[in-house]
Parts: sequence; structure tokens; C-alpha cells
Amino acid sequence: MDESSEKAILVEHLSKNFEVIEKKEGFLGSISSLVSAKKKVVRALKNASFSLREGELVGFIGPNGAGKTTALKVLSGLLYPTAGFVQVLGFDPWDKKPEFLKKIALVMGQKNQLWWDLPAQETFELNRAIYEIPKNKYKENLSELIELLQVRKLLNIQVRKLSLGQRMRLELVASLLHHPSVLFLDEPTIGLDVVAQQKIRDFIFDYNKRYKATIILTSHNMRDLIDLTKRIIVIDKGGIIFDGKLTDLVGEFAKEKIIKVYFSKEVDVRKLEGVGKLKRFDFPQAIISVPREASAVAAAELLQNFPIADLTIEEEAIEDIIRRVFRGEKIKKVRH
Amino acid sequence: MKKYLSIFNISFQQEFAYRINFIMWRVRNVLQIFLVFFLWDAVFKDPGRVVFGYNREGILTYVLGLIIVKSFVFSSKSMDVAGEISRGELSNYLVKPVSYFKYWITRDLSSKSLNLSFAFFETLFLFLILKPSFFIQTDPILLIFFLLSLILAFSLFSLLLFIVSAITFWMPEAGWGAHFLISIISVEFMSGALFPLDILPHFLQRIVNYTPFPYMVFFPMQVYLGKILDSAAVKGILISGLWILVLYFIMTLVWRKGLKVYEAYGR
Repeated sequence: MDESSEKAILVEHLSKNFEVIEKKEGFLGSISSLVSAKKKVVRALKNASFSLREGELVGFIGPNGAGKTTALKVLSGLLYPTAGFVQVLGFDPWDKKPEFLKKIALVMGQKNQLWWDLPAQETFELNRAIYEIPKNKYKENLSELIELLQVRKLLNIQVRKLSLGQRMRLELVASLLHHPSVLFLDEPTIGLDVVAQQKIRDFIFDYNKRYKATIILTSHNMRDLIDLTKRIIVIDKGGIIFDGKLTDLVGEFAKEKIIKVYFSKEVDVRKLEGVGKLKRFDFPQAIISVPREASAVAAAELLQNFPIADLTIEEEAIEDIIRRVFRGEKIKKVRH
Repeated sequence: MKKYLSIFNISFQQEFAYRINFIMWRVRNVLQIFLVFFLWDAVFKDPGRVVFGYNREGILTYVLGLIIVKSFVFSSKSMDVAGEISRGELSNYLVKPVSYFKYWITRDLSSKSLNLSFAFFETLFLFLILKPSFFIQTDPILLIFFLLSLILAFSLFSLLLFIVSAITFWMPEAGWGAHFLISIISVEFMSGALFPLDILPHFLQRIVNYTPFPYMVFFPMQVYLGKILDSAAVKGILISGLWILVLYFIMTLVWRKGLKVYEAYGR
């Protein structure tokens, strides 16, 4: 067996360029760009390579416009790659072969496929026909999805009358009726309240376990990533800058260490500022972040000059690292 | 096939979800018929009058027939295809094992069958109160030709619409302009929907006859009125059939290229 057939998803040196016409500002600008349109090439993906084994659940993260959604669109056959090789379940997604499309699903948190003026049930029936799901299988899948997502009461209500959270759950049902073995989820929890988010998360976790489904998830939601994914791929400016375990992200990208100290006596807060960045002070506890390489020196300084009861040095929280990734802050690999 | 039957079904139901809308649309159609009827009835007050080779009965049949043929050929759900491309909603279909073209044709057929069944009763009703002198074609061969030409007309229009809509792939904002162009120039003017094409000078008629446009309205009407017989009717049907093949080829080509530059907009 060659290597490509073991992988559910294989991407090699993928690039995707978009051509955009630059519009000048204002009325006169619009007219002048009508005559001499300036075209600009946007490189949404640059030489990206990665692969997923069957049953893996991987999180895509990066700042807005980094190329996450573009990657998902190429993988599901919507976009034609400018260069590179893409294979999903042994198919070239661009061919849009029915056998391929029957095995995948692309769910976008901000796009809907449910028919606005009809109850969701009707869209389900339509998808049953489109995906040619046998009646028995359909009934089985449907009742299972209804159970998992708790939407039984919502089936016969006009979609326009549902809340965003309810609709999103029904969108998931519609997208998964054909039991795809590869799932591309683009911001599945966007705009939902905490309870609804949790429901969707639990479901994704379950679906992955139960069917060994291969799932790529993009999200700006910290909990989505921490709860669901073990492996993370970080994309920035169209290139992949990290691919590995979520826990390794900290080792790779943490620039700082966190020193937690408990004081035995009152101290002058201003003096603490000299040691590092004071993140919180709530007597007797203080949290100070210091550059990685200076952590030992800082700890020694604290012990020498302050009345310390206890001191620990910790890694930067994973949330903080991810937050920096979302902000698009320059994150560089740190040498240890 | 079963796939498209389901699409037919759900499309039909959606039509009913917009009940008020639908009723108003039908009322508009009835009013339109009234207006057209009284206008031409007044013009042809003198029963012996003949204009452009049409007598009172002929012109009334032409304009009333026009309304029916137009509503069958032109009233098209797929008018929204350009919009779906520019809004990125096309993506919804591309990730599913379904043909986008067949999907819209099915939805069109669904909407047309609903509208036609209403139109039938309305026409019957109007007939009874207006008692117009309407020419009724009784020759079964011509009626078959008429039906065939209607189906061809619908195919021609759908293909043309899909080709024009594809412009949106390259110019996402151009959708509206493109539709304007197709609906005004080709559809209204050159198809015979505005006036019978046989009032045009002969050489123009001859040129127009080799374009696909007259086969969308004018040709079916002429067949119904019995103005085009046997060999001429067969020739017309062959020409429109040929155009369907050509347009289908162009459409496939344009869409294949268009999908390559499709950007699946939306975030």
C-alpha cells in the first residue's frame, strides 16, 4: 500500500491565489478604477503541506484572513488550487465525483442550507434524495442525530422562526444525514451562546469517536480547541507555521514564563515592576510574567529581595498563546 | 431521477409558503390580460381592419397567446443563478452530489407547472366573461408541433440564462447588468415578445431567424396560429434543436471555466 492511501487527507505544496480588483476610494475613484482596473494577486495559501490520518480531529487556527477557510474550500472541491497536490479519501476534490461528495460535508457557521420558509424536516427529505440515502438508513441516521443534538421539537417549525443556536444544530443534522466520513467544520460555534456551544462541542466529540470520522475544525473559540483537538495546525499569511500537539504549542511559542509568588509580609508593589511584568496583584499572591530566558534570574531576585512564602514558575497558559495566534501577533519559534 | 422528483416536490411546497405572494402574482397576470385585451380590442374596433397582416382575431390571439407563452418560457426561477454565484450560495450545491443545472431546471418546471395549472383556470374564466374572438387551433399535428416548440423554447431560454449568469464568475457585480441585457435585447425585442417579428423588413427577419431568439416566443406562436406549416415548422424545430446543442456546449464550457475562478465568497 502506498503512503497516500493510508491518509484520509493529503495536502502537498498547496497554493491558492486570488485576483482582486483594487477599488479606489470615493466616487471619482470608482470611475477611474472602471477604466483602469488595477489587479492585485492575493496569495491566500502559500506552499502549505499537511496530512491527516483517518479518524483524526485537527484544529486549524490563525488570525482572520490567514487562509483557514480557503484551505477547507479547496479540500471540499469548491476552489481550484493554483498549485500543489490535494487528495481526500483518495479523490481529487476538484473532480466533484458523486462518490466523493457523498463522503464529505462542509459546514460553515455563517452559511445556511436550510430552506428558510419551510420546516427543517423538508430540507432533510431533500438531502435524503440528493445523497440517495436508503429509507431505513435515513431513519436511523436522522433519529440518532436528533437525539445527539436534541432537536426533536424543532423539526416542524419554519426555519425562519428558530434562534441561531437552534438553526445551527439543525444545519448540522442536514449536513450529516449522509454520514460523511470526512468533515470540514468552519467556525461551527460562531455566534452561539455558551450552552449551545457546549452542545455542538459535545456532538463533534461524539461524532468523531463514534464513526472514526476525520474532522478539520476552524474556530476562534478557545474552548472548542482545548476541549476537542489534540493536534493543532497554525496558519498565518497562507503558510503553516506550526503543526503538532496542542500542548507542544506552548513549548514552541511561549516567550514568557509565569512566576507565581506568595508573600509572607506586605510588599511595595512598585518594586515588583522592576522584576517583570506584573499581571495581577492580590495580596498575598502576585503573578509576574518574565521573558523565558530570564526566569531563573528573576526568581532568584524575588527570593533575595522580598519576603516570599512560596514561589512557582509555570509555563504561559495555552489560552494566552492561542490568543496571540488569533491576534496575528508575530509568533516565532523559540529555541530551547 | 428520484433526486429531482424530490427537488420538484419541495420547490412546489415552497411556492405555497409564499401564498400571498403567489396570489398577487396571479392577480397581476389576470389584470395584464384585461389591459391587453381592451387595448387591442379598441384598436381593432372595425372587424374588417387588417394591420401587418393580422386581423382582429389574429392579433388578439397573438397577444393573449403571448402572455401564456411568455409565462411558460420566461418566468424563470433560475433568474437568481447570477445572484447565487455572486453571494457564494452556489457553494451549497457544489459540495453535494447534485447537478446545479438540473436542479434549477427542476425548480423551474415545478414553478411552471403550478403557475400553468392556475393560468389554465384563469384563462377559462376570462374566456367566459370576455368572450373574445380567439383563434383555436384544432389541427392535432400543429398542436403537437406547438407543444414541442414550447419545450424547445424553454430549453433555449434556460441555457441562455445559464450562459449569461456565468459572467458573474468573472464580474461578481455584473449580474444585474447581464440580465438586463439578455432580457431586454434578446428576450423582449428579438424573440417577438414585444411585437410579431413578421412586421420587420424581410432581410432582418431572415437574419433573426438564424439566431436562437425567435424560437423562444415568435416561432411557437406562429406554429399555433397556423402561419408556419409542415416543412417550415420542421425546419424551425430543427434550427432550435441545433441551437440547443450549440448553447449546451457553450454553457458546459463556460461553466467549467467559471468554476475554476469561482471564489466561493462569504468570509
